[in-house]
Amino acid sequence: MAPDALAVLVFAPLVAALAVIVAPPRATTALALAGIALTAPALWVVTAAVLGGEVVEVALAGAAPPLGIAWRADGFSLTMAWLTFVVVAFVSLHALASFPSTSDAGRRFWPMWLILVASVYALFLSADLFNLYVTLELVTLTAVAMIAIGGAPAAMRAAMRYLLLGLMASLFYLLATALLYGQTGTLDLYQVGERLGEGALATTALALMITGLLVKSAIVPLHVWLPAAHGKAPGPVSAVLSALVVKVTLYILIRLWFWAGGALDDGLAAFVLGLLGAVAIVYGSIAAIVQTRLKMLVAYSTVAQLGYVMLLFPLASTAAFRAVTFHVLAHGVAKAAMFLAAANLLAALGSDRLQRLVGADQRYPVNVLAFALAGVSIMGLPPSGGFVAKWMLLEAAWQSQGWGWVAVISAGSLLAAVYVFRVVALAYAQPRPASSVRRPGTTPRGRFGATSVAALALAVLAIVLGIASAPVLSLIDLGLPPGMAP
Amino acid sequence: MSTEVVYVLAASAVFGAGVYGLIVANHLMRKLLALNVMSSAVFVTMLTVAGTTPEGPDPVAQALVLTGIVIAVAATAFALALLVRLVQETGLVSLRAKDDDGA
Amino acid sequence: MTVGVVVDMMLGLALVALSLRVVTGGSLFRDIVLFILFGLLVALSWARLGAPDLALAEAAIGAGLTGALMLMAYRSIGADTEERPVRRRPGVALVVAVLTGSLVAVIGLAALGIERVPDAAGDAVLEALPGTGLGNAVTGVLLVFRGLDTMLEMAVLLVALLGAWTVLGDARPGRVHRVDRRTPLVGSLLTVVAPITLLVAVHLLLAGTDAPGGAFQACAVLTGCGVLMVLTGTLRPTAVAGFATRLLVVAGLAAFVLVGAGAGFVGHAPMTLTGTWAVYLIETAMMLSIALTMTLLFARARGLRGEGS
Repeated sequence: MAPDALAVLVFAPLVAALAVIVAPPRATTALALAGIALTAPALWVVTAAVLGGEVVEVALAGAAPPLGIAWRADGFSLTMAWLTFVVVAFVSLHALASFPSTSDAGRRFWPMWLILVASVYALFLSADLFNLYVTLELVTLTAVAMIAIGGAPAAMRAAMRYLLLGLMASLFYLLATALLYGQTGTLDLYQVGERLGEGALATTALALMITGLLVKSAIVPLHVWLPAAHGKAPGPVSAVLSALVVKVTLYILIRLWFWAGGALDDGLAAFVLGLLGAVAIVYGSIAAIVQTRLKMLVAYSTVAQLGYVMLLFPLASTAAFRAVTFHVLAHGVAKAAMFLAAANLLAALGSDRLQRLVGADQRYPVNVLAFALAGVSIMGLPPSGGFVAKWMLLEAAWQSQGWGWVAVISAGSLLAAVYVFRVVALAYAQPRPASSVRRPGTTPRGRFGATSVAALALAVLAIVLGIASAPVLSLIDLGLPPGMAP
Repeated sequence: MSTEVVYVLAASAVFGAGVYGLIVANHLMRKLLALNVMSSAVFVTMLTVAGTTPEGPDPVAQALVLTGIVIAVAATAFALALLVRLVQETGLVSLRAKDDDGA
Repeated sequence: MTVGVVVDMMLGLALVALSLRVVTGGSLFRDIVLFILFGLLVALSWARLGAPDLALAEAAIGAGLTGALMLMAYRSIGADTEERPVRRRPGVALVVAVLTGSLVAVIGLAALGIERVPDAAGDAVLEALPGTGLGNAVTGVLLVFRGLDTMLEMAVLLVALLGAWTVLGDARPGRVHRVDRRTPLVGSLLTVVAPITLLVAVHLLLAGTDAPGGAFQACAVLTGCGVLMVLTGTLRPTAVAGFATRLLVVAGLAAFVLVGAGAGFVGHAPMTLTGTWAVYLIETAMMLSIALTMTLLFARARGLRGEGS
């Protein structure tokens, strides 16, 4: 039963996408929601099996690697799959309002949205280097097309830049896959790890692959495409880009490094990756602080928060793995909430210039509250999910006596506090009489609409994740890399 | 020097040319040409380094290349559609250096 | 050194020279044409490497279709957008050249050191092939052993089309510069070529299960026909994707999904093809979907209609 449930994760959204394309627009909402909702029981079945000590696995077409491709779920991939479900479910509620299925934009949005969901699930289940390439292309193309969906020149320029860099990164990844297949005769990531050994080829191939993945994950200094792409996209798209799309390549990178990276057992390379992360944390945060637009601020915050993931490579301990995986979850949920709230404020105020936020809490209390709650998690204040993640990461760095990393993690939280408080302080500021006059483009609509509810629900979840972290961590413990004990 | 060696060396040089063009070229369409040149190089590398079976080149590598060719043309077609619309809207055929900000 | 290797070396040098020209040249139009030539030389290389399937696909899709798409887009954005000779500072270009040069050396050296392992996936495929009832190992990989890749590849094509429709916006479909069919040859060419193309496509499709050919090459032939019909105005782009168009566009992926997910319901692993009928169903649906998708992408249209209708 559990292996069949793996297939449901990919096929349910895919079938829904096909049905949405063919069926009349009035059926779109039901089909899309069904396609997404069906993955929840499937996830539940797989999770129950994994918690029961099973490794859920299915060789597709009965052809086990190296002959064919297998889908496999352990604690790590399931954690990511649950993040996918939660983010997609709530963001879809927002999209029902922002991309109504009968509008032109809605008809374009929903099929691509569902295909994106199917490809992200397929990616988390796969450990085949070439199959991962195909899913990555799907994720990139759907993401780019959805950034450009509004047709604004700035968004299309951002989409174009993302597309060019994304395709280049894919080719680096694919070249490495070609070299690895030639050397090992298999495309299965775990078998590649067993057969690869050390040498010039291993180093070259893995360096190419890691470079490609870092570009797609927007790790400084390869982040240039991210701020505009995430900042100019429509709200639901920004949310899913920051919460999921940049994480999928980090997921592959972690799998590659800790599951197949015998040849990567190299202190210097790990240190360099960690250093990139540290630079990302400091640079991204400072860039967020100096932004004048809300969505760009949130986008640069993503650049910074992705940096924490990179600290896993030099720390390389069980504690660090648990912390970073939890951080990916916590950031995903909080950042999705933040982008949805920001998009709602942008839609309501007609502009997302920070000065326009003055007094926004009086007119849009739900969205300002959602932003503030998500901000609590991003800053890492208790009792949020972000707090648990950063605290665990700090402990991991402390245990391995990485004082430099300790300093960076602490500085990152302080800098995050600056940019979050800057927004929150403006929103809660008393408007001067002159600015309380309603400006053109200001509408009171959507105060308690689905869009605000979606943002608030995700923000509350970002806090709850900190209080109820135990079950999540026990799932993560079932997906620890080989050689790491719980 | 065998056939395979020649194509491996040529493919890595072509890949390098593609990377160079992608970074240095201004015109978006030339960047797309560079990407396509790169992907051809990757495909040739893929087949040559996979070696041969008694029945010709490695069938898995051949299948991967076929899949890759179709994905490459699909991505190119979408990129061109985006490019044409971008030019129609802005009149520009290159990405301006400073477009992270602004409206 | 045999004659063959000399040919290979000339071909290799030509590939490098052409690629450099394509990425640095001064006239975009000429360089697109050179890119098509580059693609044809790549096809020749596939033939030299013993892979006729790939030679066919590369010539038709890699060189032909990509080139046609490029020329079409070039025409749409107009000659006045020809790139200005303003280049980046030569210092930057030099640094990039040095860096990519070392990249080339590193990749080349690493790739040359590769020795084929005795138990590669390719050998496993040859061993398992008789169990599939297919005669062609490449088709076996594409449809059976790695069917998931091919299914997701269909999804990539679909996304490319949906993405193109998205950025097309509400604008009317791209104006296609039409060849006048009253020109002698063009009209008769079409009446002769269209039926022959269909025959060739069906032949390639059926041959693909045990000889070079198959869905990709068949679809390339059909697409060529579609492109010709768009160029001559026999098929005209429309701004609306009708029901039939939408159905045909998803057919390839849908066939894969039905067969692949359906296998799970009858007790097989997902993506198992439970009979030869599944192979033909998927290949036919794929051929039609790819051909229509490519033609639509070429015409930058949401739909196509016949001349008279």
